[in-house]
This record gives sequence, C-alpha cells and structure tokens, in this order.
Amino acid sequence: MRLLAAAIALLLAGIAPGHAQNCTVNPELVEAPSFLPRVNAAVTKEGKLAILVISAAPSQVGQASGLKSYPSFLETTLKEKLKETNVSVFAFAVPREPIGKVLKALPGALQEHKPDLVIWQTGTIEAIRAMDPDVFGDKLLEGVSLIKADKIDVILMNQQYSPRTDFMFDGTPYTDNMRWVAQSKDISLFNRYEIMKYWADNGVFDLNAMKSDGTYEKLHRCLGGLLADFVLRGASLPGSPDNHRK
Amino acid sequence: MPPIAPGTRDLRLDFFRGLSLWFIFIDHVPGNIMTWLTVRNYGFSDASEIFVFISGYTAAFVYGRVMKERGFIVGAARVLKRAWQIYVAFVFLFVFYVAEISYLATRFQNPLYTEESGFFELLQKPEIVIIEALKLRFLPANVDVLPLYIVLMACFPLILWGLLRRPNLTLAASAIFYAVARYLDWNISLYPWDRYWFFNPFCWQFLFVIGGWCALGGIDKIGRVLRSRAFLALCILFLVYAAVLQLSWLIPGVTRKFPSWMHILPLNKSDLSLFRLAHFLALANVVVRFVPIDATFLRSIWARPAIICGQNSLEIFCLGVFLSFSGHFVITEISSRKYAHFLISLAGVLIMIAVAALMSWYKGLNRRVEKAPPPPAGQKNLEEKVA
Repeated sequence: MRLLAAAIALLLAGIAPGHAQNCTVNPELVEAPSFLPRVNAAVTKEGKLAILVISAAPSQVGQASGLKSYPSFLETTLKEKLKETNVSVFAFAVPREPIGKVLKALPGALQEHKPDLVIWQTGTIEAIRAMDPDVFGDKLLEGVSLIKADKIDVILMNQQYSPRTDFMFDGTPYTDNMRWVAQSKDISLFNRYEIMKYWADNGVFDLNAMKSDGTYEKLHRCLGGLLADFVLRGASLPGSPDNHRK
Repeated sequence: MPPIAPGTRDLRLDFFRGLSLWFIFIDHVPGNIMTWLTVRNYGFSDASEIFVFISGYTAAFVYGRVMKERGFIVGAARVLKRAWQIYVAFVFLFVFYVAEISYLATRFQNPLYTEESGFFELLQKPEIVIIEALKLRFLPANVDVLPLYIVLMACFPLILWGLLRRPNLTLAASAIFYAVARYLDWNISLYPWDRYWFFNPFCWQFLFVIGGWCALGGIDKIGRVLRSRAFLALCILFLVYAAVLQLSWLIPGVTRKFPSWMHILPLNKSDLSLFRLAHFLALANVVVRFVPIDATFLRSIWARPAIICGQNSLEIFCLGVFLSFSGHFVITEISSRKYAHFLISLAGVLIMIAVAALMSWYKGLNRRVEKAPPPPAGQKNLEEKVA
C-alpha cells in the first residue's frame, strides 16, 4: 500500500512543471471590473486616493505601510503607478467577527477614514461559522448600499483558497451571495479564492505548508499588485501595464 | 459481479441512486474538476435531491408493504431499526473526521491562514463536542445528508401511517409544514456559534414525502397530466432555462447582462428553494419518460455497477464521504493537477463499486442461509436491498 502511494506520488510529482516566480493569473479571473467613478475623479481632479480595506483578518489591522500584507503592497504599487497622487491605504479589521459586527462598525470607519474606495474582504468567518448564506447576502447588500450612498466606490473580495482546510467549510454559498450583491449593485468582485487556486493548481505557489515558509509575503505582494491593477483598470486610469494579461 | 436480485423492482431507483452517490462523492472532493461530469453545473438541483427523493420513494415502497401486511408496530420497528443503522454510520464517520481535524489543528500553523484557523476553536472543548455530535448538534463536513436521513426515518412511521391512510392529506400537511418552516426560518441549531443544519429537515422532509407519496400510488393519479406532451415540453423548457442560467453563473459578469427577472441565483439549498424543487421534479419527469421501467439498458452489464451501489446506499454513501476526505488528502499532499483529480475520482468510484459488489455478495450468502423458512426471508431480503 505504502509502495503504491509512493509510486503514485512519484508519477504525479513528475507532472508538476518547474517555474520562475511570477504573479500570472488566468486573465478571465481579473477581467472587466465595474467602473469606479469616485476613484477616477479623486485621482484626476483632487490628486489623492484614499482606500479603506475592511476585513475580519487578525493580521490586517492599521496603516498599510506598517504591514506586509496585500493592503501595503497595494499601496506601494499604486504609489509607483500614480506618482502625482497622494495614495493612502488603511486596513480596518474587526478580527474574527462575522459580518454583523463589521456592519455595525462600518459607519464609524467610513467617517474616520473618508475613503474614495472601500475594498471589502469577507466570507471567511461566515463560512467557518456556517452563517445562513442568505442572511450574509442581505447584510452585505445593506453594507454596500450604505457605502454607495456616500458615493464611495466598492470592490468585494472573497475568502482565500486554503487547500488544507478546504474540506471543512465551503465558501461557495458566500461567494455566490457576494456575486449576487455585486450584480445587484453593479460593483466588482475580486475573486481571491479562484486566483489563489489558480496559483496553487499551476504550481506558482505552494499553499500546503503546515508552517511559515516565506510564502506569505510573496503571495500578498502578488495579490496587492493584481488588486492595484484591478483598481486602475476599473477607474480607467493610465498606469496599468496589463502585464498579467499575457 | 453478483447478479441483480430478481423481482418486479424498479431498477431505475437503484440505478439513479447509485449515480447520485457517485456524484455526491465527486462533488465532495474540494475543487475537483470532475464535478463537470455531475449534474450540479447544469441546473438548479443536484445529486442531493435525487438521493433524498429516491430514499423517500424506496422507504415508502418497502416499509409501506410491511406496515400494510404486518401492522403499524412491525412496520415502525423496521423503520426505526434502519434509522438506528444510519445513526451508527454517522458516529463512525464522526470519528474519522475528528481524527483528521485534530491532526490539522495541532500542526497547522501557516501564517497565511490565521483567519481560517479560527475553525479549530471548535475543538477547544472536546468533551462537549463529542456529546453534541451524539446529539446531532455537531456535524462533520460532508455528512450533512445523514442527520437529515436519521430524523426523516425516525419520523417516518408516522408519515408512512398517514401516507397509507390519507396520502393526499399527508402530502398537503407536508407542503404546509415546508411553507411555514421556510416562512418562519425554522431549523435545528448546531454547536457552537449560531450555526444551523445544512439540510434543513423541516424543509427537506417535503421532497422525502413527495417521494413516498409517488411510491404509494400518488403518481398514478396525476400520471395523465405528467405524461401529456404539453407538460413534458414545459419541463424541458424549464430544464434548458435552468441550465443556461446555471452555466452562465460560472462565468463572471455574464449573468448581469440578462434581464433582471432572470437574476434568481444563488438559490437557497439549505431550505430547499422552490426553484430547486421544481427543477428536480421536472428533471425526474423527463428522465422517467425517456428511461422506461423495462429499458433493456437497466438489465445490461453497464448499468449494474450503479445499480449495486444504489442497492447498498448507506454503506456506499459513508464510503463516499470517507473517500472524499482521502481524495482531499491526496490533492493536498501529492498533487492537485487535473490529472490527479481524474485519477482520484475514477479510483473512488471503482472502490465504491467493488465494495458494493462485496456487500451484495454478503447479502446473497445470508439469503442462501435463510432459505429454510422461505416467506419471511424473501421479504426481509427485499427490504434490506432496497431501503
């Protein structure tokens, strides 16, 4: 039995290609974002761009420049591409709390940070806790309506792809509800799950490590870069090299 | 492979239940690209509806006869014995599941997944988790249909009693219960957090009862409408609509180009959305029409693997859950290439067939041993085979 497993492992390992590190994704995954009018106006008319990243992730709190997560890489990439613009990214998190608590904290966060764009990362804690997906969808719609009422642009971001824990909770119903909200409000969904799954399936990143192996920062750098591109294209701004659309 | 039990049984039930068990296994391996071979992406309903409907149908068919011939007490006792078997199977799978997540909980410390690790809070009080699991208030992944099945079977003596006496009234009561449960958001809560059963038994009982109602002759009463050309055309039209919508949903941004009355996705699976129910019933009507009960295919060697899996449904379902955990393990540990998905799915289905063949062989042995007192043995075998 063990011999057989070893033989299969050997056979399958032979198929995985060697590769150079890059952030390439299937272009369909980051295609055609909805228009971001406020971002466009803020950059072209006011020369500033304030982004608020909302999440329940314990590792993403505070001024983006102090972090090594995707919000900070989003900030550095946007600063490089929009040289004339005062870019600031702030990561706001209600750690490990489901959407209800995030929704309550939302008005205060909007008032304090006065963003032009909100990137709302959600759906993980809700999937872990098996929250009713319909209730999740309704709360998200409420939150997005609240943000849009202030004429602030929104991008939704779903859960990560986590191969180790994938079988324990299913994020699909939550992503489906995020797509439903995106559709009803004409906003974009940045499909982080599919992007990371693409990387894992194509050997770009190994997401199976049980302990820290340095992937964290490399992966977040890629995510931040892709997200910056997604924002620039959504706002029809120059500076997007479309380098991932090969 | 052992021969199929003779008799007037509708082999379509076994065949499609076997097929649904394969689909459930394939869909349960996370990220498996082979799900494209299952029904999930081509319409609103999926293999769960097939499984629950056929389970209701066969339960009513088999235990209905026992209850009619030998009375309520004997019929109820047989049903409850079955419910107990399913409960034991549930506990068995719970043990595997806890072993797997406990292993991960102690070793998995990848900083990428601090948020996901919140799941392991579940294990902070093992003494409570185990008790809650025995009370069906803590459910392992992928077994959600088992607790539903246990509760439905535990209540089935009463349902069956109603279906045998006043079938239409019982069906109407089930429909009203479904509607009220959906309206008032009834469900069974889980430990910990504010989680609920994935298959809401108050809603899914309706499909189970519909299956039972059909088995006990209800279907003959509306047969003329179902078989009419106009109704068939309507069903096919609805299936096409569902397929287009479901497939377009998989491509980002396409569905939003459709007119707004088509924006009905995503559908609620936990509470058995009416669209899912209607889709399954339309699908069943079309399939029954094109696969008649005496189709030669059902007696051929090609249908036999699915049929024997369907005839040993409880064992094969549990095996499927276990294989989906193993398949996931192979994908994370060895390879997640498309090739591996194909091999895992194929190997899993082959193992299911082999084990089902072994089970049928055992049952054949028992049958020969029990041949001495013929009448009750024949009945019991049929019961074991079908339910």
